Amino acid sequence: MDLLQGFRHQSQINPTGPCLVEGETILSYAQTARRAGGIARAVQSLALAPNRPVAIAAPKGIEAACAVLGILAAGHAYLPLDMKGPEARRRQILSESQVSAIAASDAKSGAGDLPVLVLDQIQEADFPSQSVSPATIAAILYTSGSTGTPKGVALSHSAIHAFSQWVRRLVQLSPKDRIAAIAPLHFDLSTFDLFSVLSAGACIDFLPDTLTSAPSRLTEWLETRKITGFYSVPSLLSFWAWKGNLKKARLNHLRFILFAGEPFPTSQLRELANSLPAVELHNLYGPTETNVCCHWPVDRARLSDDQPIPIGKPACGNELRIDSDSSELQVNGPTLFSGYWQRGKLTPALTDDGWYRTGDLVSINALGEFVWHGRLDRMVKIAGHRVEPAEVEAALSGLEGVKQCTVVAIAGDLGMQLAAAVVLDQDLSIARIRQLLNQQLPQYMIPSRWRTCAFLPRLNNGKLDLQAVEKLFSQRPPANITPAASSRRYAD
Amino acid sequence: MNDIKSKLRDFILGELIYCEDPTLFGDDDDLLEAGLDSLGIMRLIMFAEREFNVTLPDTEVVPDSVRSFNALTHWIESHRP
Repeated sequence: MDLLQGFRHQSQINPTGPCLVEGETILSYAQTARRAGGIARAVQSLALAPNRPVAIAAPKGIEAACAVLGILAAGHAYLPLDMKGPEARRRQILSESQVSAIAASDAKSGAGDLPVLVLDQIQEADFPSQSVSPATIAAILYTSGSTGTPKGVALSHSAIHAFSQWVRRLVQLSPKDRIAAIAPLHFDLSTFDLFSVLSAGACIDFLPDTLTSAPSRLTEWLETRKITGFYSVPSLLSFWAWKGNLKKARLNHLRFILFAGEPFPTSQLRELANSLPAVELHNLYGPTETNVCCHWPVDRARLSDDQPIPIGKPACGNELRIDSDSSELQVNGPTLFSGYWQRGKLTPALTDDGWYRTGDLVSINALGEFVWHGRLDRMVKIAGHRVEPAEVEAALSGLEGVKQCTVVAIAGDLGMQLAAAVVLDQDLSIARIRQLLNQQLPQYMIPSRWRTCAFLPRLNNGKLDLQAVEKLFSQRPPANITPAASSRRYAD
Repeated sequence: MNDIKSKLRDFILGELIYCEDPTLFGDDDDLLEAGLDSLGIMRLIMFAEREFNVTLPDTEVVPDSVRSFNALTHWIESHRP
């Protein structure tokens, strides 16, 4: 099934209905189709080799959403860049993925001699009516890689379609719905916003980014925009439940909240559930490679004790199994990815019999629900973002003056924090290292806790003693960073 | 007042944002531009409420309240018993 079929249908039966909203700008379905149609024609006119991805360098919003629709309609995969991350990482991804063109909000976003389509200069055109084969790659979403470089997860039209239609039915989306889009496009939560919502004829309202730092203003915005549902991560929802002024809120239109990306601490979920007694809550689970493969509709009666919530039962038509030796969760079904996108090629990554190994440790409880216990490897989730400590270590090791390093995750009050232990040459400071890392890694991948050591703790067999490394961080650092009275200005 | 500010400096510059030389980060410099994001703001508020025994009202949790060390100190000070 072609991912655009639902949108095409809605733009015919519901042409005047609101489709994309950003600030005061509203585009109807017909207008969105014309904008996206122009982008599709511009992409087609480049006559790119088939199956080459087109990157999107535009912030989350109307322009970027039209670019997604246009690139897909032209038969190519879209590859959204993290516009808040460092330039060096965007360039690394552009070169690794071997994209054929960039659709950008700004002509300066080009790299080398890649063609750049400047989105606000493209003439409108009719939306292409020919459909795309279901196995065609639709999206390449880059996530942290355990080999030290970012890794592209290639998702087909049929895989995203299977997820987006399952969740559309789960929350019964209709043209009456108005969904707040919170996740950036490179984050897999955004496929719900784009494809579930538009196939249902509902409206996407792009949340201004600054509101995630002002929870009570987020509440006011959700009220005045009459938002009926949204999909976000537990860390943002915890902040909102805590400081969002929800006791005084009149969120009469809000029907559902979906969350995924990291475990939701039960006490914090309880606070959210108690503040919004009429709102349906759903815990969705799935690595980007599976879209979503497991689901627990939140049962409020089970939040009273502090047991971790389950990830629930198989979703989207997937089959789940637990490896008897390792207790690893493995997945098979319609939402699985097609492979990793490496150096411009698709590299299959499933087992011989077609299963995806998640690397997550799970068990089944007495109610037949899957329960998550942790990772087989070192991957961690920071505010819903996947982080491979090996990628942070690779960036650290590449800095001159870093002799040895290791990165671990430390559990804090508010989820996980990254911590780095480093052995340094004398003339390198942690402050300098953090500055250099900021040029290479997104903010969520930069360790917030640091220790310098004369050597890293090792076990008798010479391997790193990760438990001893974690212990280095169990006490607060001796902080001595109060400013000298005379120095008031921040120097570059 | 100075005690609050120095504890905030230690916490924010030690755990939430980076800067080349923390001693040169001025009390009016922009923390948001220096990388204090929404998750950092949440950690900061949790730290401040516990450390200084205050309850910071929901409607005042906005970027301007946490924009600089001086703004933050003033904000927390205004809610001290």
